[in-house]
Amino acid sequence: MDDQKSNHHNNKSIDLDDSPPFVRIHSHAEIGSSEERAVLELEDERLNSCDSITRKKHPFKETSSSDICHMKCKNSLWNSIKIVIFSSKLNILMVFGPAAIIVHKTTGYHGMVFLLSLLGIIPLAERLGYATEQLASFTGPTVGGLLNATFGNATELIISIFALRNGMIRVVQQSLLGSILSNMLLVLGCAFFSGGLVIMKREQVFNKAAAGVNSGLLLMSVMGLLFPAVLHSTRTELHFGKSELALSRFSSCVMLFAYAAFLYFQLRSSKKLYDMESKTETSDDDEAPEISMWEAIVWLSILTTWIAVLSEYLVDAIEGASTALKIPVAFISVVLLPIVGNAAEHAGAIMFAMKDKLDISLGVAIGSSTQIAMFGIPFCVIIAWIMGQPMDLNFQLFETATLFLTVIVVAFMLQEGTSNYFKGLMLILCYLIVAASFFVHVDLDSVVDKPHKNGE
Amino acid sequence: MDYKLQVRVQSHLEMGSLDDRSMGDLDDECLYSAEMDAQKTQSTDSNEQVSLSSSLPVAGNKMIRNGVYKSIKTVVFSNKLNLLMPFGPLAILVHKMTAHNGWVFFLSLLGITPLAERLGYATEQLAFYTGPTVGGLLNATFGNATELIISIYALKSGMIRVVQLSLLGSILSNMLLVLGCAFFCGGLVYPGKEQAFSKATAVVNSGLLLMAVMGLLFPAVLYYTHTERHAGKSELALSRFSSCIMLLAYAAYLVFQLKSQKDLYVPIGEEGSQNEQNANDDDDEAPEISKWESIIWLAIMTAWISILSDYLVDAMQGASEAWGVPISFISVILLPIIGNAAEHASAIMFAMKNKLDISLGVAIGSSTQISMFGIPFCVVIGWMMGQEMDLNFQLFETATLFITVIVVAFFLQEGTSNYFKGLMLILCYLIVAASFFVHEDTSSSGESKQPKT
Repeated sequence: MDDQKSNHHNNKSIDLDDSPPFVRIHSHAEIGSSEERAVLELEDERLNSCDSITRKKHPFKETSSSDICHMKCKNSLWNSIKIVIFSSKLNILMVFGPAAIIVHKTTGYHGMVFLLSLLGIIPLAERLGYATEQLASFTGPTVGGLLNATFGNATELIISIFALRNGMIRVVQQSLLGSILSNMLLVLGCAFFSGGLVIMKREQVFNKAAAGVNSGLLLMSVMGLLFPAVLHSTRTELHFGKSELALSRFSSCVMLFAYAAFLYFQLRSSKKLYDMESKTETSDDDEAPEISMWEAIVWLSILTTWIAVLSEYLVDAIEGASTALKIPVAFISVVLLPIVGNAAEHAGAIMFAMKDKLDISLGVAIGSSTQIAMFGIPFCVIIAWIMGQPMDLNFQLFETATLFLTVIVVAFMLQEGTSNYFKGLMLILCYLIVAASFFVHVDLDSVVDKPHKNGE
Repeated sequence: MDYKLQVRVQSHLEMGSLDDRSMGDLDDECLYSAEMDAQKTQSTDSNEQVSLSSSLPVAGNKMIRNGVYKSIKTVVFSNKLNLLMPFGPLAILVHKMTAHNGWVFFLSLLGITPLAERLGYATEQLAFYTGPTVGGLLNATFGNATELIISIYALKSGMIRVVQLSLLGSILSNMLLVLGCAFFCGGLVYPGKEQAFSKATAVVNSGLLLMAVMGLLFPAVLYYTHTERHAGKSELALSRFSSCIMLLAYAAYLVFQLKSQKDLYVPIGEEGSQNEQNANDDDDEAPEISKWESIIWLAIMTAWISILSDYLVDAMQGASEAWGVPISFISVILLPIIGNAAEHASAIMFAMKNKLDISLGVAIGSSTQISMFGIPFCVVIGWMMGQEMDLNFQLFETATLFITVIVVAFFLQEGTSNYFKGLMLILCYLIVAASFFVHEDTSSSGESKQPKT
């Protein structure tokens, strides 16, 4: 009977656009205080899963069905804040953001500023994804897909743009590269590993076609990155220094065009090829969004601004932190930054794998890599072009070789269409090797790590 | 045999004068179309039977002269592409008068295009008469005869770098541009579903291409890491040894293909999957010119292509300076695109007719031929000539080939195609072309820059 009531209520919430907000707010407040509400379940809500959300809605509809207020009203400011900010335990880390600014102004101790701003950005990144999804549920599949495609890695892009403004081109290249590597190896490996452990009897399967297309795009991006690097390292450019930059800009335009074609292709054939859900949301009509469209937009801008502010402190503190913590800047940019920045996505991917929804995990992990490789990196090159910064696609031979090898390994692992815990373990161990390599890698172009011998 | 020839020749005459005969249709005819030929032969047979009895007792000399004239009409005038043929003699004229290298290069390039296409046609006609084995061999050897002839002339002039670059460019353009255009056009014409092709063929070809990359990689890396035992000599010796091995591998591949044609390669789509297989099924098709005509035309085309190649190669350096374009760009991008134009068009056409296996045979098969036969063959020819051609294509070019083979092998392994894959391949080719546009070849004979080490 309870089920019937909840079903009935669910149906109602489907019909109305923004159905009883009060109910949900109350329930959120109640849930927020309950101990068993893991962060993961809220990730669930954010990342798109019809089943678990309907399951989730049942429990708290039961408790609050008596308080139902059926008026169609927007959330008040306080309620909105409650939904967005107080509903996720991860948001406890939010206080670190202002703490970082305070530390920066008082002590100027770069190591602490760096760590605190990094911790402060994590919850903001997660909430940004949440707001994007809420907005996507209002805008329909096409624009929703585009939103996800653009804002999916907004945090990395914002950090990169600030680094570009400071002329820290090498940091940009390395942080984007590290993001790709961590998504492809660490996040995917953890997802395969956890999924394989939970579901021991059989191998999990995922959509080969989607994985194949993504791998193809990643290979194409490697191609785009390889030529400038090899041109530079074999010193066979026509006009030294200039032709590499021109080639990079041209390749970036080609890659952006390819990514646009990919989005178009995906939207066109989403019903045929992608049977199970990929990262882009196509049908949220069953789920009732939790905040209204304008609220979503407002929150989106607030979070973006806040992330931008913290990123500025983060970027300024990188060099000082590297000296203070005695870690090479390359290691910070490639390994630390992305791991921490991607923490929320990481947790989400693992959770979905454990629920045997490997396609969503794959969408999160590999889709994110493809986004950064085919959209993020060329976009930064174009932005740098507009800013007048000479950012190019020459990531130096070591980094390019790393990316090349990683893409081949991952493409090879994905081509079968099945996963087990051993494949996951292999990917995680590969990431350990990559991280160790970067720990002992001296970046000759970096500002801070000046080698003792004269660089070339 | 002679009257049959006359019948067909006359029908060709009629066909040749029709205006609505597009190039595509004629390519169709020359490359593969059983139905049209059969119908044509039947109709003309019935029509001409009356006039035949009167033409048979004609004097032998007149028939031979007529034969020559009609043969010329068949081969030369039946294809609209042959409008470009006058550019050949024009190039020679320009060379003798003005010696403006840019123009000579361009005109001879245009002049070679129709000859290359006719050479392919003559090879196919000859393949009818020789049966599947020798026919397959003929196609395998003469399929890229144009590139080989140009390369041999360049070798004679000592332009080793041009040979390496033009062969490499031929492989790249076949694998990325021709294949990409075929996938793209095919996908646009059939947007609903994905076109399928024979995975086995594609995988074997990818494997051979990877082996070729291996053969090219070791000399390049040896040279680049300065770890050769006898600097300059061991790389050459290694190249020659590897070339022999690659030729052996290619011979074995031909044997394997011919032996297991029926078992392994189940073609998806109505027709055969390789051009060699087409020769098998062509007993129903009546060849259009006789065996001796084919051989004679083969010899004539080869000779004519050789002459033009001579001018082409001589004019390359001057053209590079005249246009301000690096020689590597000309060799890698321009030469193969124009030289391969006919194959390109036919591959696209077959893809649009949903005969993707044939397109794949044209594109990837050609790449495999050049990489496993053409390149080692040139090394061996260079060995005989005393030229020091080796397999060290320099690091940039070798890396390009490596990444391209991996990308294409990856795209092919699924066995399906759609317009997006085609678009990606074409965009990859754009990136490659752009890279070569800004790539300066330090070891080229044209640029006299000091290589910085």
